[in-house]
Amino acid sequence: MSHELIIFLAMVVTFAAGCFALKLPVSISMVLSAVIGALVGGQGIPLRHLVEGTFSYVDTVLVITCAMIFMKVVQESGALDALASLIIEKFHKVPALLLCLIMLVIMFPGMITGSSTAAVLSAGSIMAPVLMLMGIPALETASIIAMGGLLGMIAPPVNIPAMIIGGGIDIPYVGFELPLTLLTFPLAIFTVLLFGYKYVKKLDYEAIKLKLNNEPREKYGFRIFIPILLALVLMVLNKAVPSFPSLGMPLIFLIGAAVGLFTGNKIKVVTVCKDAVQSVLPVLGILMGVGMFIQVMTLTGVRGFIVTSCLSLPNGLLYVAMAVAIPLFGAVSSYGAASVLGVPFLLAFMSSNQIITASAISLIAALGDMMPPTALAGIFAAQVVGMKKYTPVLKKCLIPALVLIVWAILFIIFANQLAPFIVLK
Amino acid sequence: MMKKNTITGAICLVLALAIATVTGINFIELKNPGDIIPGPGVSEVHMLSEYFDGIAGTNGDTEIYVMQGKKPGGKVLILGGTHGNEPSGYMSAITFIENAVVDEGTVYVIPYTNRSGMTHNDAQEASPQYIHFSNKDGAVRTFRYGSRATNPIDQWPDPDVYVHAASGQTLSGSETRNINRAYPGVENGNLTEKVAYAITQMIKAENVNLTFDLHEASPEYPVINATVSHEKGMSVASVGLMELQFAGISMALEPSPVNLHGLTHRELGDYTDTIPLLMETANASQGRLRGATNEALALTGIDKAYEKSAELGMLYVPYDENGHPIEERVGRHLQGIIEYTKSYSEQYADAPVSFSNVPGYAELFTDSDGSDLGGARLGQYLN
Amino acid sequence: MITLIYRGIIGLVLVFTVWNLFTEEKVTNQANAALVVIPMILRLLMIK
Repeated sequence: MSHELIIFLAMVVTFAAGCFALKLPVSISMVLSAVIGALVGGQGIPLRHLVEGTFSYVDTVLVITCAMIFMKVVQESGALDALASLIIEKFHKVPALLLCLIMLVIMFPGMITGSSTAAVLSAGSIMAPVLMLMGIPALETASIIAMGGLLGMIAPPVNIPAMIIGGGIDIPYVGFELPLTLLTFPLAIFTVLLFGYKYVKKLDYEAIKLKLNNEPREKYGFRIFIPILLALVLMVLNKAVPSFPSLGMPLIFLIGAAVGLFTGNKIKVVTVCKDAVQSVLPVLGILMGVGMFIQVMTLTGVRGFIVTSCLSLPNGLLYVAMAVAIPLFGAVSSYGAASVLGVPFLLAFMSSNQIITASAISLIAALGDMMPPTALAGIFAAQVVGMKKYTPVLKKCLIPALVLIVWAILFIIFANQLAPFIVLK
Repeated sequence: MMKKNTITGAICLVLALAIATVTGINFIELKNPGDIIPGPGVSEVHMLSEYFDGIAGTNGDTEIYVMQGKKPGGKVLILGGTHGNEPSGYMSAITFIENAVVDEGTVYVIPYTNRSGMTHNDAQEASPQYIHFSNKDGAVRTFRYGSRATNPIDQWPDPDVYVHAASGQTLSGSETRNINRAYPGVENGNLTEKVAYAITQMIKAENVNLTFDLHEASPEYPVINATVSHEKGMSVASVGLMELQFAGISMALEPSPVNLHGLTHRELGDYTDTIPLLMETANASQGRLRGATNEALALTGIDKAYEKSAELGMLYVPYDENGHPIEERVGRHLQGIIEYTKSYSEQYADAPVSFSNVPGYAELFTDSDGSDLGGARLGQYLN
Repeated sequence: MITLIYRGIIGLVLVFTVWNLFTEEKVTNQANAALVVIPMILRLLMIK
């Protein structure tokens, strides 16, 4: 057994022991695992390396935190209620379209933050009662929300796993929009119709209407939507108009949030900020842990060992290895899986269009959020519909998950044929 | 009485602050890239900000070692340290400064072109912070191992997308801090663009005839063991290349792509009268397929992960148990400078440049029995 | 200018992270918050 394999096993065992036996948070387990990896690798406790590793995610921390503050403001101001009531009012006659729109709302926070947790906990928790009002059982509702969060995280404009994978081989996060749209939205439609359509074919609008919160819309009218629209406009301006000074996502979210303080219900800004930071702290901690984990893997040669081992597999097996290894590693963190395995697999498929391949790999990486023990999307989705255990949700999501893997692999196989049509730079 | 979680919270916070302090002191210490001891050929030392005061007082301002010949002639500029994680680039420049004697013309050497990049290391790359050499007197010379890009504390945050000012070319946001995507530079741009602008100004002000930009590449990167030349350098490069091959150095000659912007071999050629040549050697310590990352890897290139990758056919350079020691890489660069300068001086006889006492590929690498490679032999050429 | 704004944002995140560090009930969650404090403070002070 090679030295690197021993180090890697020590890291994995430490992580598992931290998570399962000691019931520590994922982040702390990752830190311990990084420290053990360094010790076994003969590096002592390399404080400088541990701290340096976290700096990959300083900007990501800002994006996630500011996005969560924005979401909380939008939610408290009543804008999400207004959005729900508007959607159901306009589209209750076309239930299939309505389901798709609800799916879009669930995905939205994930699309702008790149975090499935953000999507499930914010829009997911708001749409859960709507879906159940429409007659969809709790289990199916939770599955829709979990998959919605997952796909939202991968859907454009913000897809952190794709940024991580692309950044690994110096390809800019440009031109990913259409491939990611085509990868995620068909799956989203498929999933929501699979789980929901048979329950909503005959919809009783009058009964649902009574339970919707129409108040914010009636009270504030159009202005309730201004923060969401403003954030959207700024994002588009930043991307489309090069002469417009680059604000960056964190600042855009904060501007949107600041405006949201005046467009709807009164908001206690300090409380909202504290709650927002509290709800993202577990994710931020995991990012810090992942940073340390990867730096130690690089330091000790484990990264190179894993990469060269994966790449030495024969071609047909590469797809299988990818479909198994990336979600499995995603149990640690889907971001970690994207970086540690996503990049080498992208290198292995070097002859395929890199943007489409990176997009497809990021989709597979998202499945990590359904993999126990972390299973963030599954756990929170079960929570928001009031289920005690999340394993039924994971079982229910097996079919869409398998479809997702096949869909992603098809994109990789036909990447070069698709590229002229869907990669716009 | 204080609540229990207040006490534990305070302990956690104090621990975090202690770790931040200890590592913070270490990160601050990285600001010194290592002292250079000029050899007999150095006549003056200037600062780049003398050509553009927009970088004065910043971490981007950097030293220019001027080596004036006894006879008048042309002018050559050597850019080391464009990328701080490519040690043969700046070590070649430093070896030149500490040894060369210029006979005709003037040689300018900027050992740390992106000086800010020398002051930090990239996250998750686990780079060594320092490389050490034992000099001819047995004293230890310490140099930094830096980053490919400007330090974020000098230029932050990165935009989502980097737009190259002169061409409109877009790249990932982090390339905003890559000086070799910033030429010809922007007078009122960010620090990286300003430093690039200053170098362009310097080349114009001094009428530099020939410019070398010294790089390294990861072994799996296609442009390696190569010289990349602007169109107008092709005749100089092709003659010099033949001489290099006679010296036993396998070197490819690549034309500078016309649609890849911001690089020295494209923009310095387009925007100034200089002939820009960029050279690449093989550096395992910046590669993605590498094994354990440390100073030894940077200096010897010995790496079983790369040997395995070579067997898998993924590399663009041969790779065996001998690695690619720093002497081989610095030797390639210095021999390249020697041969291309000769070739230039033959073709532009009205403005020749000549120098002596620069160790070449044979002195540094092929004359060795192998036992002193990986830093010891190069150290013998440091003051 | 933009750097100053972003240092402000870092400061904001840091303040609420430290606040949460003290209000978290479980020690492990406090340690998790402390983990986030380290890079935030080093970037706020422009050390790393």
